[in-house]
Amino acid sequence: MMAEKKKATTKKTASKKPDTKKAAPMKQEVKKQAPAPAAKPKAAPAAEKAAAPAKAVSTTQQGDARVGVFICHCGTNIAGSMDIEAVQEASKRIPNVAFVDNYKYMCSMPGQTVIQKAVHDNKLTAVVVAACTPRLHEPTFRTATKDAGLNPFRFEMANIRDQNSWVHMHDRVGSTEKAIDAIKIAVAKAALLQDLHPKSVPVEKAAMVVGAGVAGMQAALDLAAAGIKTYLIEKDMSIGGRMSQLDKTFPTLDCSQCILTPKMVDVGRSENIELMTWSEVHEVEGYIGNFDVTIRKKARGVMTPKEAEAKGIVGGGCNGCGDCDGVCPVIKPNEFEVGMKPRKAIYINHPQVVPLIYTIDFDSCVKCGLCVTACGPEKRAIDLEMKDEFVKVKVDTVILALGYEIFPIEKKEEWGYKRYENVISSLEFERLICASGPTGGHLVRPSDGKTPMKIGFVLCAGSRDNTGTGKPYCSRFCCMYSLKHAHQVIEKIPGCIPYLFYMDIRSFGKMYEEFYYRIQDEGAKFIRGRVANIIEDPKTKNLHVMTDDTLLDRPIDMEVDMVVLAAAIQPSDDTNRTRKLFGVSCSMDGWLLEAHPKLNPCGTTTAGVFLAGVCQGPKDIPDTVASAEGAASAASIPIHMGEVELEPYFAQCIEEKCAGWGMCVNLCPYSALALVEKDGRTVMQVTEAKCKGCGTCGGFCPGGAIWMQHFTTPQICAQIDAFLLGGEQ
Amino acid sequence: MSEESGAKHKFAFYLGCIAPNRYPGCEAASIKAMKKLGVELVPLKGASCCPAPGAFGSIDLNVWYAMAARNLVLAEQMKMDIALLCNGCYKSIWEVNHKLKHNKDLRDGVNEVLKEIDMEFKGTINVYHTAELLYNERFVGVDKVRDSVTNPLTGARIAVHYGCHIVKPHKDREFEKEAMLNTEHPTWMEELVAALGATPVEYRNKMQCCGAGGGVRGYDLVHSLDITNEKLINLKEVKADALTDICPFCQLQFDRGQIEIQEKFGVTYNLPVLHYAELLGLAQGMSPQELGLDLHGISCEPFLQKVL
Ligand SMILES: Cc1cc2nc3c(=O)[nH]c(=O)nc-3n(C[C@H](O)[C@H](O)[C@H](O)COP(=O)(O)OP(=O)(O)OC[C@H]3O[C@@H](n4cnc5c(N)ncnc54)[C@H](O)[C@@H]3O)c2cc1C
Ligand code: SF4
Ligand code: SF4
Repeated sequence: MMAEKKKATTKKTASKKPDTKKAAPMKQEVKKQAPAPAAKPKAAPAAEKAAAPAKAVSTTQQGDARVGVFICHCGTNIAGSMDIEAVQEASKRIPNVAFVDNYKYMCSMPGQTVIQKAVHDNKLTAVVVAACTPRLHEPTFRTATKDAGLNPFRFEMANIRDQNSWVHMHDRVGSTEKAIDAIKIAVAKAALLQDLHPKSVPVEKAAMVVGAGVAGMQAALDLAAAGIKTYLIEKDMSIGGRMSQLDKTFPTLDCSQCILTPKMVDVGRSENIELMTWSEVHEVEGYIGNFDVTIRKKARGVMTPKEAEAKGIVGGGCNGCGDCDGVCPVIKPNEFEVGMKPRKAIYINHPQVVPLIYTIDFDSCVKCGLCVTACGPEKRAIDLEMKDEFVKVKVDTVILALGYEIFPIEKKEEWGYKRYENVISSLEFERLICASGPTGGHLVRPSDGKTPMKIGFVLCAGSRDNTGTGKPYCSRFCCMYSLKHAHQVIEKIPGCIPYLFYMDIRSFGKMYEEFYYRIQDEGAKFIRGRVANIIEDPKTKNLHVMTDDTLLDRPIDMEVDMVVLAAAIQPSDDTNRTRKLFGVSCSMDGWLLEAHPKLNPCGTTTAGVFLAGVCQGPKDIPDTVASAEGAASAASIPIHMGEVELEPYFAQCIEEKCAGWGMCVNLCPYSALALVEKDGRTVMQVTEAKCKGCGTCGGFCPGGAIWMQHFTTPQICAQIDAFLLGGEQ
Repeated sequence: MSEESGAKHKFAFYLGCIAPNRYPGCEAASIKAMKKLGVELVPLKGASCCPAPGAFGSIDLNVWYAMAARNLVLAEQMKMDIALLCNGCYKSIWEVNHKLKHNKDLRDGVNEVLKEIDMEFKGTINVYHTAELLYNERFVGVDKVRDSVTNPLTGARIAVHYGCHIVKPHKDREFEKEAMLNTEHPTWMEELVAALGATPVEYRNKMQCCGAGGGVRGYDLVHSLDITNEKLINLKEVKADALTDICPFCQLQFDRGQIEIQEKFGVTYNLPVLHYAELLGLAQGMSPQELGLDLHGISCEPFLQKVL
């Protein structure tokens, strides 16, 4: 159906547009090299508009191709490592080159003007820019090409910075030669470039956010406020993430729960947010504008009122009364309290959970059925035989907000975590000092319940660690929360002295340095040195912190009552599996990779997939929320546009050549191909919206019946020839 | 594989200097005890000093490489992997083998020197510490060690000194057994001690150096003994009956060192110090005389009375 409709549009375009008439002779010629259906502008209505300003010159092909070459200095990034004059002179001798120029910053406004003027003055048919990398500026120069009156796909980039001047910084002759080669190759392709028209597809008006820590919650709230239906997927039983485990927050010291819980309630209430907790992403298909996501709703064992109603139990379902919790005989450590408090097999991990629905941990449930009885015949909320459910949703854009977890700090064996009772992690400290924590906010030594009067805080515990055991990066918020912890013990325990063992204090944010001074004035002691090891006195369970005071240049053996390790953080457990479903890359340390570290920190290389919060790299709450709002804004743009443009790099079937074997159909990793009956023959047909232009089919087809737009066989052969045979005049 | 001995594994036994000169019992115990566990140790004839990693390494690395390589080539010629019983030797022989195998420039340089004595390093063998052979079930394993015990050392409280070179530097150690890669608080030797029926005891700052290594003993005896003394204080605190080690150099420092500490600091500990091979020998029923325990600086008598 869709294909037919598109065909109709195509015909209309062809007959309406005057320039296609001029294209006619060219079409013939190109066909000689390879029958090119690409010359037919095949456009959806939106693309038609885009194609309109294209001038007559834009359809010229190799014979009368006139290519302009524009060499960029990139300041000294390129010009500093090669002889631009020599590159310019050599470029002039390349066949089909009608114009060559160079400029300091080709991407700047004056640089782009140089291109536009040259296209007009020299009747150029294609533009080659030799510069940084297409990753950064392909869109820039496409637009410049279009503004000059050419079809934007009449542009080719020669990468002479990232893959040349930056790599061969100290080889001027070599990099000059390599740049000339790169330009020859680019020109060879440019001479054969054809007009292409991006396809626009309509989008769903829905988004998905994966992970409901403060990042995911903020992103979902923003999207919902913009009127976008948002699915919020959280693997845990409640939303809130790590922030809900914290006591106070630096530098303002407001209570974490007090600022977070209202947001949690808002998320639970929002009409536009469909919250799925105890759920994870199972499968992803499709592309920006049309992601088909399968969610696995893990069996929770307890029904919500809505679910109960669907099963005909009117007025039933979990109301959070907790009757079940009382009778359950199974006792397990509560993960939310970092194991310092017990929970049952049917439980909520803290009183503020959203949604307030109990959950059964089926790994430890003994199926005694006591909870079922306790829950009673009215509510009938518990179903011990509940199975995982799979739900399919269609969304336009996705935000990953997967957060982090604490590095298993026992791996740094020298500090004795899990070996010495009084060595605890910073997250345990948060729970111990928190009024709603396991000790009601009384900080005590795990060994004997006594109040510690001297506490050692080990900063960079496992961060900035090049031994191979820890993490090489800075975890970015441990300095600040350790200052906060120092303040909290001084405030709560009169006479207690916190000793902070640090490398540097990184208090870089707004009002952070001021906070640092304040804590110094309050009496915290700072010792600059990495802690070599910690030794427990077996009798008193006191700890000897062994380090160097690098400011006084002397070794230190400091006896303290308790040690808090400001442990490094790492990507959360399921990050790797989840990111692969969305085709998102990660950097060496596992944090998700942004499209550009400075200019596109929320985007990824998968169109329509964005990043928020710590999963992209360590961030405190202010930065997390800022990144979440950025991601929400970026993710709402395609939705508000109503349609997305797909790059027109799809495969085309040359029907006369197609034998209808269909081997390509099985090869396509994106299921974009199918066999259809046409004029009594079986031929292959491409669903353009699904095709990613990977070229698998094109490279394979034994009959040469598949034409890869923008990467045609003649274009690629010409590039290889240009490199191997030189191609100078 | 050897037919006559019935041993499953055969190694070229590299002795080093201190074991044969100061504690010959270590050598005897290793050969006899390992044989009962299916490991035959064949003398590596013509071997020199490993050479000592601290002393040689800090003056001229090239000499260190070349001398260690010569010892390795002797074993290559025997077509046998090396087994050795000293942490210092382990650092030299294992590390040089590893470096030469992976660095062509280094290997070429060493072979240039070895050519003068008609030798060539080929990189065909591996190097193991005997403690590693005992702990790794691919060769022996803790269970087999336990099964070989006829005279369990029941009731003895034995503390372990690992020694630095066997575990450090962490990034240069590649043991097959995960537990052996624990640098800061390993417990695999405690497992081996427990296998003999004894009770392993933890003590404060277990992983501290013996005080001798890295040339400290040669350069500044008093300072070196100060470190040893600190360890002995911690050992006394937990009332250990003996200290066990897997390095004759550490053993020398703790054993003879106690006499020097007595002279210089006026403190007496009388803590018997035994190589794990000696303990294993005792547990397998060898006599103190066979093990040359009478050659120790500190008398092993009180400990022997407890376990025999
Ligand atoms: C001890 C400590 C004290 C701190 N104190 C402060 C402070 O005082 N001030 C401050 O600004 N910052 C502080 N921080 C930092 C703060 O915790 C983070 O900035 C913040 O939690 C980051 O939020 P997030 O949403 O990115 O990640 P998270 O809070 O980790 O949330 C991620 C959420 O995603 C879910 N999730 C993960 N993977 C998946 C998946 N595959 N599918 C579905 N859901 C998934 C998780 O269950 C979680 O709910 C502190 C951190 C620690 C460790
Ligand atoms: S499952 Fe039933 S008993 Fe348990 S909290 Fe919910 S409603 Fe109450
Ligand atoms: S934030 Fe501070 S404590 Fe944390 S890793 Fe960075 S420098 Fe170290």
